Amino acid sequence: MTLPTGALTLSVENVSVHFGGLYALSDVSFNVAANEIVGLIGPNGAGKTTAFNVVCGFLRPQSGSVRFPHLGRSDLRPHQLAHAGIARTLQGVGLFERLTVLENVMAGAQSRPGGGVLWGALGLPRSSRGERALRAEALSNLERLGVAGYAASLPGEIPYGIAKKVAVARALMVQPSLLLLDEPASGLDENELEEFARVIVELGSTTSVLLVEHNMDFVMPLVHRLVVLNFGQVIAAGSPGEISHDETVLAAYLGVDE
Amino acid sequence: MVRSLSQRYPTSFRLVASVVLCALALAVTFVLTPLDDSKLAGGAAMSIVILGLSWLIGWSGQVSLGNAGFMAIGAYTTAIWANHHTTSPIIWSLFLSTVLGGVSGLVLALPATRLRGPYLAGMTLAFSFAVAPLAIDSRSLTGGSGGLFINFLNAPSWFANLFSGSDALVKANAQWPADVAIVVAAVAFFFMANLFRSRTGRALRLVRDNEVAAELVGVNLQRTRTLAFVISAAYAGLGGSMMTLLSGSVTPQTYGLTLSILLLTLMVLGGIGTLSGAVIGGLIYSYSDNIVSVVNKVTGVNPTSTFGANLKGIVFGVLLILTMMLAPRGLVGLGSYLRRLVRR
Repeated sequence: MTLPTGALTLSVENVSVHFGGLYALSDVSFNVAANEIVGLIGPNGAGKTTAFNVVCGFLRPQSGSVRFPHLGRSDLRPHQLAHAGIARTLQGVGLFERLTVLENVMAGAQSRPGGGVLWGALGLPRSSRGERALRAEALSNLERLGVAGYAASLPGEIPYGIAKKVAVARALMVQPSLLLLDEPASGLDENELEEFARVIVELGSTTSVLLVEHNMDFVMPLVHRLVVLNFGQVIAAGSPGEISHDETVLAAYLGVDE
Repeated sequence: MVRSLSQRYPTSFRLVASVVLCALALAVTFVLTPLDDSKLAGGAAMSIVILGLSWLIGWSGQVSLGNAGFMAIGAYTTAIWANHHTTSPIIWSLFLSTVLGGVSGLVLALPATRLRGPYLAGMTLAFSFAVAPLAIDSRSLTGGSGGLFINFLNAPSWFANLFSGSDALVKANAQWPADVAIVVAAVAFFFMANLFRSRTGRALRLVRDNEVAAELVGVNLQRTRTLAFVISAAYAGLGGSMMTLLSGSVTPQTYGLTLSILLLTLMVLGGIGTLSGAVIGGLIYSYSDNIVSVVNKVTGVNPTSTFGANLKGIVFGVLLILTMMLAPRGLVGLGSYLRRLVRR
């Protein structure tokens, strides 16, 4: 989907989440615009993952809302995301262990219309044609990420860094207008990190990206904008340059703001 | 790139394979004795049910101890329908039983698919227990504990005319039901082969492997689990219908927990989640009495003693344990293991 520059793909508005008396998020707001790469950062326990789960609809906020302005929709349930062209990768890799890499990527297009159960059972041309097209597309996404050589392997047999790319290839199958990456850097070594950063920058040319991360070295050169959370609140937002000199942020990361 | 066979070939391959294998099986029935024909018929009917169970357990990861109950639905549907419409072609009996099996699966799935593991097993177990008493109590519909009887599935004259000799009619009347069962099974296996390779089949495996990730790629968990149940129950209904047609009767005691467990055992012995595993499971069912009598002979157990009478349960129990220990993927898995061993 081609969107005008500056058009918003995600708008989190005054979201609050509390578990009993504990506020995980209070009055959190931030935006992501078309073709923008935004990093959501903060110390452990700052509420990053909670914020991500709210965006994905795994958690319902007690107040506030999550809108996808370019779609004119809000507060989607997890299984509706893919239909709407929003993809999320999971912390760890979240691949299907007993499916091959290629099948894993094909699964990314599970939400696409075409071929109900009856068509499938009868094996009608429409169903098998769809599957063939899907296979070709999955393969091309694996190629785009440079991991097509692993198409026939099982997730358990491939290196972690490769598995992460497979997860991204799967996310690309929904041709996302918004890509949500949950800790893309975790578990990767130096070389893999560098390569993965390049992948994300490249993805940013076709989609907006929101990523949760605590590896600052990885995030800083990568993103256009940062949103910093601490104790469930947005304490700063701005370009990496601005954030790296922000007193509040430095204090939060050094743990002296109490 | 290594891909599994059925991925490489489209529907037309599966169609040709089904027709060829069906034709081969039909050819075999011509040389079998009437006794073996009727054993094979039962095995073909049972393999349909095993396949449906394999789809549910192997592909969607949900356990059912209630598939004998769905068989009962199909078995009674066929008996009741056949008694009210004596001239109706059997395809209507088969169709109605499949549909009603599926509908009963839907009814049970609504609560069942919200449950997991032992809770789900417990609920389907309760269904298994409920079927026989329900059938016995609804006397006006089901004939109570005596069950129902229908006309035997006798060979039509064009088929009987294929045979000559003194016991031509005996042979024809034994082989005809077997051939019908084989054709029905071939159709059921063809549809399932397609389902295995369809988007629906993949959805089941996604839900089985990783619920969170499945939801994120757009799979509706509840709907997918329910669908798995409905199709599994429909296959059980079809198999139950075939059993009534083959035996000419249905009794409530047939479709209890014991049969549900036997189905599980046969599925594991053959190989979970595969087409050939279901065929092997069906064949083992056909010849289970032979297996037991061999054990009888070897061990010298008196078949009329209490121990001898329960030998079948013991033999299958031991086989099940051995399979789980030595070949967890069943005889199918053992086969491919041996092939790899030879190739080395």
